[in-house]
Amino acid sequence: MNDQVNTTVIGSYPIPIDLQQLMDSYFHAKSPSWNPVILQAVDDMVTAGVDLISDGQTRDPFLHIFIRGLQGCRIRARAEVIGPILFDAPINTGDLEFVRSFLPRRIKLLGLLIGAHTFSESVVDHFYHDKKQLAFDVADALAQEAHAMEPFVNMISIDEPSYANSFPEYAAELIDRMKRYVRCPIRLHACGDISSIASSVVDLPVDVLSHEFAASPQLFDVFCEYESKKHFCVGVVRSDDAMVEPVSLIHERMMKARDVFGDHIAQFSPDCGLRMLPRKIAFLKLQHLVKTARKMYD
Amino acid sequence: MFSFTKQQQVLDVGSIKIGGQPGQHPTVLFGGLFFKGAPDFQQAKDQLNTMVSISERTGVPGVADFFFRKHDYIEDIIKFIIDQIPDPMPFSVDIQDASIKIEVLQHLHDQGLLSRTIYNSLHIGVTDEEREMLSSNTPSAAITVAFNPKDRSPDGKLEVLETSAHLLDQGLLSIAQSLGIKNLLIDTAALAPGENSGSAIAALPVIKEEYGLPSGCAIHNVVEKSIWLQNLPDALPVVDVASNSDIPLFGGDFVLFGPLKHASFVFPTIAWQDILISEYVESYFGVSPSDRHPRRILMK
Repeated sequence: MNDQVNTTVIGSYPIPIDLQQLMDSYFHAKSPSWNPVILQAVDDMVTAGVDLISDGQTRDPFLHIFIRGLQGCRIRARAEVIGPILFDAPINTGDLEFVRSFLPRRIKLLGLLIGAHTFSESVVDHFYHDKKQLAFDVADALAQEAHAMEPFVNMISIDEPSYANSFPEYAAELIDRMKRYVRCPIRLHACGDISSIASSVVDLPVDVLSHEFAASPQLFDVFCEYESKKHFCVGVVRSDDAMVEPVSLIHERMMKARDVFGDHIAQFSPDCGLRMLPRKIAFLKLQHLVKTARKMYD
Repeated sequence: MFSFTKQQQVLDVGSIKIGGQPGQHPTVLFGGLFFKGAPDFQQAKDQLNTMVSISERTGVPGVADFFFRKHDYIEDIIKFIIDQIPDPMPFSVDIQDASIKIEVLQHLHDQGLLSRTIYNSLHIGVTDEEREMLSSNTPSAAITVAFNPKDRSPDGKLEVLETSAHLLDQGLLSIAQSLGIKNLLIDTAALAPGENSGSAIAALPVIKEEYGLPSGCAIHNVVEKSIWLQNLPDALPVVDVASNSDIPLFGGDFVLFGPLKHASFVFPTIAWQDILISEYVESYFGVSPSDRHPRRILMK
């Protein structure tokens, strides 16, 4: 791909977990390693030809990765906040360092952060009883996580799927807090139909806006209405449908994106994380995405 | 010193009771019978007799934990169980490989032994075939291993019981219930040295308070794998035996203490611990020891 437009992912990638292998490590009093799982996810993304990959976010549902890593949280039947949210130690850098250790130099790496608003919307809060205060404490803690992951990544993606349901008036402040220790480019991913908040989203303090245009093509018309100098990561492959789109359909979506965003297209991606799809389907979707983008830009 | 607000389940498995408030029933000790190659049944019989004898003298119940690691000798080991473990004394079957589990369950069913069988163990590695076999050939009790590869803390152990940490379609407790396993023991999964192995002990009272289920673990495994202790060969067996005391001290109900040949050391150690616990929980919480409690037998 050219330097201006990259193929990329949103984050998660489906790798079946070998539970017997994990139990074997337990029975032999060895620390269970997640590296073989990460390796498979990265290998698929690289083999498919993606320019900017993630670590596959294979360990857990996205929220749980951060719930496990931050102080003040625990997981019971649901994720719970039981005390002040504090940064304890880097959460993702071990995995990112591992990926960097074998990733070809030409491939770029994406660091993934849950958005502070989505975090606050997704937990059972037994401590703050104040969603805004909770979100700001999460943002402060995740700012340190962003700082820890920056040496390993080319871009950090903040994932705010809850925007589609609730958009806080302090969204920009939260993002400013989260990115205050880093200089790398920041992407904001907000999936779902965000038509009603698009006018606010285009002003958020990030470098790239990432949205699902394949499942919500009406967003093309919505963004036509707003002048923005932002760059876009355009979702052109559905992540909620196991049908592998033909190159012709993806090409149609990319052409539409080019009509709407012109030179402001920075990335093409699936609409969202791929973890709910079978691995084979996820791989084929990425392959078709890359093939189509290359056809357009190379 | 513990007394739980949650009502505690007391399981009747064969001739023994497992669980309850600390000090109510003695700690149940599981001793392993490992066979390398062709089983030496004479040696196994001697070790079993030693365990039965020390169990009777101390009042601490013992369960022989039979290891099945190969398809060979399954029928021979089961015949040994039939001949040497008198009805209604329970025994446990310790099996890692799912295909061996299935074969052993079938044999136990065919021999009418399932009502005395403690299945060791149910965990996140459970296969569909194993589930199918367990639902039709259901043992009297099962040890559920709360090993969570994503989280080594006590909370992580609760999580795997509740949700399987999203590694399976449902939590281990729900799976056990769906299979019709009525008596559940929770193994808090002692991890490798340096991997927060202490959380297996910390989780004992947490799990009892949360679910009221009998809890225990194989904390001695951590001793066995501690490299620094291997450089202290005289101390190693002492620490190995002593480590088992942590379990009743933190409210646990059963101990997987390793090789059955250690029985003559482990049973008195746990009897001593059980007596001490009984003394203080009776004076403070009013929990009286059961009729066959070591305190009643040894402190007349």
